[in-house]
Amino acid sequence: MRNKKTLGNSLRAYFSKPANVITVIFLIVLLLTVVLPLSTLLIGSFKVNGNQEAIWIDQDGVEDGSWTFHHWIELLTSKEYNYASTKFWAPLGGSALMAALACVVAVLFGGVVAWFITRSDLPAKKFISTVFVFPYIMPSWSMAMFWENFFKNTEINAGMGILQSVTGICVPESMVYGLVPCAMSLGLHYAPFAYILIGGILRNMDANLEEAATVLKASRFKILYKVTLPIVLPALVSTVLLVFSSSISSFTVPFFLNKSSINSGNNFVSISVQMRNLINTGFTKGQGYVVAIVLMMFSIGILTLNNWFTGKRKSFTTVTGKSGQVSLVKLGKARKVIAVILVIIVAFFAIMPLASFAMESLLEVPGDWSSFTLRYWLSREVFEGSNKGDTIGILMSPTMWKAMGRSLLLSVLVSLVAGSFGILIGYAVARKRGSKAATLVSDLAFLPYLIPSMSFGAVYLALSYTKGFTWLDGSFILLLLVGSIKFMPFASRTGTSAMLQLSGEIEEAAIVIGVPWWKRMTRVLFPIQKSSFISGYLLPFISCMREMSLFVLLAASYTTLVTTVLQEYSRTGLNQASNAINLLIIIFVLVIQFAVNKLTGASIDKGVGG
Amino acid sequence: MPKIILEHVTKRFDKFVAVDDLNMVIEDREFITLLGPSGCGKTTTLRQIAGLETPTEGRITIGDTVVFDSEKNINISPAKRDIGFLFQNYALWPHMTVYQNISFGLENLKWPKDRIRQRVSEMLAMLKIEQFEKRYPSELSGGQQQRVAIARTLAPEPKVLFMDEPLSNLDAKLRLEMRTELKRLHAETDSTFVYVTHDQLEAMTLATRICLMKDGVLQQYDPPLEVYNNPANLFVADFVGNPTMNFLPGTARVLDETHAEVTVLGRSFLFESDAPLGKPEGEDVVLGVRPEFIRLGSGGMEGKVYAALPAGMETTVQMTMGDQLVTSVEFGSVDYKANSPMRFEFHGQGLILFDKKSGKKLGRGSATQR
Repeated sequence: MRNKKTLGNSLRAYFSKPANVITVIFLIVLLLTVVLPLSTLLIGSFKVNGNQEAIWIDQDGVEDGSWTFHHWIELLTSKEYNYASTKFWAPLGGSALMAALACVVAVLFGGVVAWFITRSDLPAKKFISTVFVFPYIMPSWSMAMFWENFFKNTEINAGMGILQSVTGICVPESMVYGLVPCAMSLGLHYAPFAYILIGGILRNMDANLEEAATVLKASRFKILYKVTLPIVLPALVSTVLLVFSSSISSFTVPFFLNKSSINSGNNFVSISVQMRNLINTGFTKGQGYVVAIVLMMFSIGILTLNNWFTGKRKSFTTVTGKSGQVSLVKLGKARKVIAVILVIIVAFFAIMPLASFAMESLLEVPGDWSSFTLRYWLSREVFEGSNKGDTIGILMSPTMWKAMGRSLLLSVLVSLVAGSFGILIGYAVARKRGSKAATLVSDLAFLPYLIPSMSFGAVYLALSYTKGFTWLDGSFILLLLVGSIKFMPFASRTGTSAMLQLSGEIEEAAIVIGVPWWKRMTRVLFPIQKSSFISGYLLPFISCMREMSLFVLLAASYTTLVTTVLQEYSRTGLNQASNAINLLIIIFVLVIQFAVNKLTGASIDKGVGG
Repeated sequence: MPKIILEHVTKRFDKFVAVDDLNMVIEDREFITLLGPSGCGKTTTLRQIAGLETPTEGRITIGDTVVFDSEKNINISPAKRDIGFLFQNYALWPHMTVYQNISFGLENLKWPKDRIRQRVSEMLAMLKIEQFEKRYPSELSGGQQQRVAIARTLAPEPKVLFMDEPLSNLDAKLRLEMRTELKRLHAETDSTFVYVTHDQLEAMTLATRICLMKDGVLQQYDPPLEVYNNPANLFVADFVGNPTMNFLPGTARVLDETHAEVTVLGRSFLFESDAPLGKPEGEDVVLGVRPEFIRLGSGGMEGKVYAALPAGMETTVQMTMGDQLVTSVEFGSVDYKANSPMRFEFHGQGLILFDKKSGKKLGRGSATQR
């Protein structure tokens, strides 16, 4: 900053405050990492990307790099062979329907559990709340894999699932593959997320509000729908909108549950699967970018709606007062029955998937215990996939181990970068509260959250094909960059809220006695909010470790990650191996999560999820 | 008419006893304050009477109805106890306008629409908040929210009104104003008020009777001036009054039924009680002297001014005598220099003799230096 001295005293004064320096630095960083790629994507959708595309479009004067509206017009309106309908509108409509169903499942399941945990005298609360978040910690496709493992049957030529081997029941194909199963697995995956959001509001909601209604002679039902529900409504709406926007752009779940034969009518191509197909063909890349932009606009629109809804003047007043004395609703005789039912359901969705992955990986013929084998864990047979050197037994595959190591390294680095950035942004935003630059930084840092993982991958893919950035293509740095930026919103949210809880005076007390900025951060501020900040590191780590959609477009053959290896096994039909890898990832993530939780008290439900 | 009777009411949270065997009678139209330091069980007591908290043991009667009896397994819901409750944080519903907040309780009583309209207008006028009718609570200041909360509580005309530190979230000036209004309200509504506070001044100025509690145990239940002038024990004497009472440790020798020889501050006094003296558990006593019973400028004791705090109307003077700090209040605008010598004496009939070991009051009267 020394060379700016000449620019005058006011500028020098501005940069003497660390918060201002951080604001400016992050403004530049975020413009480069968020705004620049986004504009590349936008431009890419109006340009011809490569010679193949130029040939495909086949119009006069169209060559690589020239401007065109072709992608938008073709994808959104072409009636030739129902192109627009099959490639865009039908997948979009199907995905929207799937997302809506997922919302219903997530909010009902998560909301009911949240109410029981926070508002009733249910026994075994601790067990239920710990185990209930399992499905959310698992990679998002785990529920889809479990769904398939559970319901598949020999009648639809998919091998024997758990249900069939236990009861002999064969469910129709539409319950195994297609839209409804996708919606159900997404709903179950996001139910804990709904639980965290709704439970948070219910826990913080002043119990006096309900008691005041009781004293004024309102019936229990009237209190629920006139007082409790309207107050919880903003959280409910947020949950619905966030689950909807995450679900509609989900790639992994439809990817795993889209195995039925094309003609059965249960073939469901979601909009993000479609996007990947368009981008990967090489000659419809621009159309893929169009889909990415549409999905992004969906998310941003939904978030605007969310902000509008929660920002209304009816919103939650924050009158400080004691609300510690919460009287829990007495469930009476139903208490134990409800607890037992909930424990069984929660344990089923948390533990059964793990058991099913283990089982699937050990059976040559699904459901047939006589075909027990360790081949998919230990065999050295060569597997002819697209990754060279893979073996059928995953533990023997050097590719798998390399990918695992790379995933781990990537996640650690991503968590360090995203977590530290989050704390710094939180610091700047809290200190410069209300200033335009700080608000902009805060918004830009949150923007990646709104961009569906697949689209975000596409954004950086587009960037890595742009002149001047081609050195990024397929590199590890690209993955690190994408991961750090994509998972920064978790960290910046937790960082900001933790910093806002610290009054400025705590830092000022250190300034007065001449403690330098760096020391104030590490010796004063960080220790006070240690567990929140560590959550800010933990969330990106776990999210990155289990992430697939974000990296699936970007990982090259020499930068494979454990999730892309899993996807490769699954694509080539080696279900046993993909189940085995999934089990490995989940156990790894769970162990890390519990270790960090035990050591530092930080936990996943302290931050936002997604 | 509602008379509230508490018999052997006890509340335990696991092993912690919040309220211990509480017995009290609240007469109709009284204004009772439950006073005590935080954690003494006063809020729990209030919430138990209201029905928001269930006692572990005991019996509560409001009017002719037993609303709670642990032995007979009676526990009437707060909705059926015919009460009003004013919460410390107001607990206004953020999603309802001021009008809706106030009318909610009346709707539950199935009042006809025009009567609700009329009653709400009446309440709005009474509390001077007519112009906020259509606003949401988040758009009001603390004092305005407070008034809406009072209006909401009073609208259904409850016969008993419970208030849980309703003024603690207001600034000092507003608090004083609302105190006056609450007292007017009590005079106008002929309801019974039960009021929780930790502010002794609030309790003194508002109540017809104060119920002072400590660690869940009732310490004294008397009219405010009685509590002030005739505290039952050291805790009550210390808690009520500002500046606090001087506690002078010493020894006593009982001479006859009403007389004792008391030695404090290295001097000997004849203590004359206006009632028969209690029996001390040992020689050690504490002589309690309110600041207003110390006269400055003359007398047989001499101290050194430690600090003088003139407030205009009166001056609080702190003196040291040996290692004992003695506080006195003198009326009028006077000031004293620090470290200047100062003669003083006890006067009046309001000195209290406490037993040091049990803390109990032994007698009340005068002390003359021998």
